[in-house]
Amino acid sequence: MAQAAIASTEQYNYDIVRKFTIMALVWGLLGMSAGVYIASELAWPFLNFDIPEITFGRLRPVHTTLVIFGFGGSALFATSYYVVQRTCQVRLYSDWLATFTFWGWQTAVALGALSYMFGITQGREYAEFEWPIDLLITVTWVAYFWVYVQTLRRRSQPHIYVANWFYIAFILATAILHIFNNLAVPVGLFSLKSYSLFSGVQDAMTQWWYGHNAVGFFLTAAFLGMMYYFVPKQAGRPVYSYRLSIVHFWALSFLYMWVGGHHLHWTALPDWTSTLAATFSIMLLLPSWGGMINGIMTLSGAWEKLRTDPVMLFLITALSFYGMSTFEGPLMSLKSVNALSHYTDWTVGHVHSGALGWVAMISMGSFYHLIPRLYDTRMYSTRLIYVHFWLATVGILLYITAMWVAGIFQGLMLRSFDDYGNLAYTFVETVAFLHEPYVVRALGGAFFVGGVVVMAYNVLMTVRRSRIEAAELEAKLAAKMARA
Amino acid sequence: MNEEKSKAQGAVQTTGHAWDGDLQEFNNPLPNWWLWAFYASVLFALIYWILYPAWPVAGTFTKGVLNSITFVDSDGNEKTTHWNTRSLLLKDLQEGSEAVRSQEYLDRITAASYAEILADADMMAFARSMANGIFGDNCAPCHGAGGAGVIGLFPALGDDDWLWGGTVEEIEATISNGHYGFMPGFKEALTEQQLDDVADYVLSLSGLETDADAMARGREIFQTSVGGCYYCHTAAGTGLKSQGAANLTDQIWTIADVTGAGSMRDKQAAVKRVIANGVERNMPRWSGRLTPTQIKLLTVYVHELGGGQ
Repeated sequence: MAQAAIASTEQYNYDIVRKFTIMALVWGLLGMSAGVYIASELAWPFLNFDIPEITFGRLRPVHTTLVIFGFGGSALFATSYYVVQRTCQVRLYSDWLATFTFWGWQTAVALGALSYMFGITQGREYAEFEWPIDLLITVTWVAYFWVYVQTLRRRSQPHIYVANWFYIAFILATAILHIFNNLAVPVGLFSLKSYSLFSGVQDAMTQWWYGHNAVGFFLTAAFLGMMYYFVPKQAGRPVYSYRLSIVHFWALSFLYMWVGGHHLHWTALPDWTSTLAATFSIMLLLPSWGGMINGIMTLSGAWEKLRTDPVMLFLITALSFYGMSTFEGPLMSLKSVNALSHYTDWTVGHVHSGALGWVAMISMGSFYHLIPRLYDTRMYSTRLIYVHFWLATVGILLYITAMWVAGIFQGLMLRSFDDYGNLAYTFVETVAFLHEPYVVRALGGAFFVGGVVVMAYNVLMTVRRSRIEAAELEAKLAAKMARA
Repeated sequence: MNEEKSKAQGAVQTTGHAWDGDLQEFNNPLPNWWLWAFYASVLFALIYWILYPAWPVAGTFTKGVLNSITFVDSDGNEKTTHWNTRSLLLKDLQEGSEAVRSQEYLDRITAASYAEILADADMMAFARSMANGIFGDNCAPCHGAGGAGVIGLFPALGDDDWLWGGTVEEIEATISNGHYGFMPGFKEALTEQQLDDVADYVLSLSGLETDADAMARGREIFQTSVGGCYYCHTAAGTGLKSQGAANLTDQIWTIADVTGAGSMRDKQAAVKRVIANGVERNMPRWSGRLTPTQIKLLTVYVHELGGGQ
């Protein structure tokens, strides 16, 4: 086994995969802790301490950037570089270019988080980076695209495996989204401030076209790519349906691009745009579920694995949350449901059932499969993987239940009338109601971060053990050589 | 050939590709329920597109059928239009059962005088219901829910003290025009000793026991041009309403936290701080931001909060 691993270490570039994996965990821990802190600020506002850099408004984009781009982005770089090499049976096209994408991406994430704390932001959700960082991201992304495509072109396999379609769709779409949503004119060459090329409702529409496709291609398609490799690998079974994977891949890619407008129902957005966004969201439900069906059905006939393999638990739970939140999304995109849910915490809960339940769980499951192979050893503790799984699952359930209660009840309070036909509640009364759900949400977040801490420890011990094993192996070899 | 053989055996065949050792794909057909559910969602969209504004065509857009909205526009003309969210809102504000009920009361309130409203239990109940919302969204951020205020910053509206007058007319003027409450600081004009003495005198005005000598010295400063306090607070200490000057004899403290201070020493220190530093408070004007009827409702509500005058 050791020799095989050494051979594949030479054949493939595992170093870059290790780097991105470790950074994914580092950003995950930082970003999720920031999330728990800002959740606590909402429950107990004194935690803002009147220090501008750590108030909710500044730390919120720090949280989203670290978890989406720091944790999620690094996890995607890591797994895509791993998957493309393994399924094409070829080393990455260029080691130095891959290393460049590593440093470019990490620098962008770190600079972004710091700049938000000091109030430097474009004020566009999930695209807060100001223009110099946007340029760095663009260069990094083009390099990523080039490495990926050139590696695919050099494959020693006749066919391109399905996971790679999803990764390529993600890389292409993200490039288009990033460029068009960040078309902005800097105030001056030495000023960090810039203004968007668009204005008014066009600007809002561009932003949410970006925002929702960031969900669609960054947080959905790309992680489906991850799923299509790691689920069948971990299950040791073929993917359920090749045909389904083709149909749902194209349906998903085509339909997602239309739905961003559902973030702007009941605003200045024209009604016809709203209608298209809502109906395409409804049509998106089944194509989204295609990925879930393919993942879960891959395990059919091997369900007993769920009893013995905690990694499989992560992967299947991720697919279940994926199915749930891709059902909830189309529901919330209908104008009448949106009238209640929009601007409430239901939206926040929906995002987190996707972000924690799907994105984080599938990444962690994949990492537990990946890390022992990267370091040529076993995970330090299977028991701790179980502990992580239960902490994470309980955390997610507390989180989304609290947000359903907060969002749906606040929505109902805001639209209830008294006997005189007047609004029954003032806004501030609905805010006072939110305190208890906010406490439960912060608790749920703390559970989830607790799980990540357990994982970080487990990974650290695994890496340490792999070093010791490697040293022992070398000593043995040296002894053999000496005898010879 | 292989495929046919496996079909004959009823087993599903893989595509025959293999990656990374054991990575393969079955070629199962699309699940029927999945396919039909997808067709159903497309049908849903098609029907939606026929009924509602949907597709941009040649500079305009498809308007939808069987779905028009009739409402009264701002010129009072009845207007029928294709379905759209703005007209839907206007129609709801004109014809919705809550809006109609609320509007009937609003018309009565607009037409009635304060005396009529205060005497009518039904109108008062409506005023409480609606003004609770107006107060909560506009006034509560400073004055607190229920008008409790913040001592030293924002006056309490629930006590019996009316700095600028507590009749409905005076309250309406206060809300409409706002107020600038100002008392100069005396820390440069008076010595530490003098400040202590005036503080003792002020406390004695509301019946608290203070050092007799200090109180007497303080009265000299308060009632003469040395301090000139009596200009605004009046010789009796009851305060000049036109200046919003506090009544110092009623045991209600809005700026110095005398009630909350434990010892006599702390009470004296609290009053001294206010005399030394002065007061500057600004309440914004609400006419222009709220309608006259909303201000009328708020006036009645605030009047009732503090028992009124």
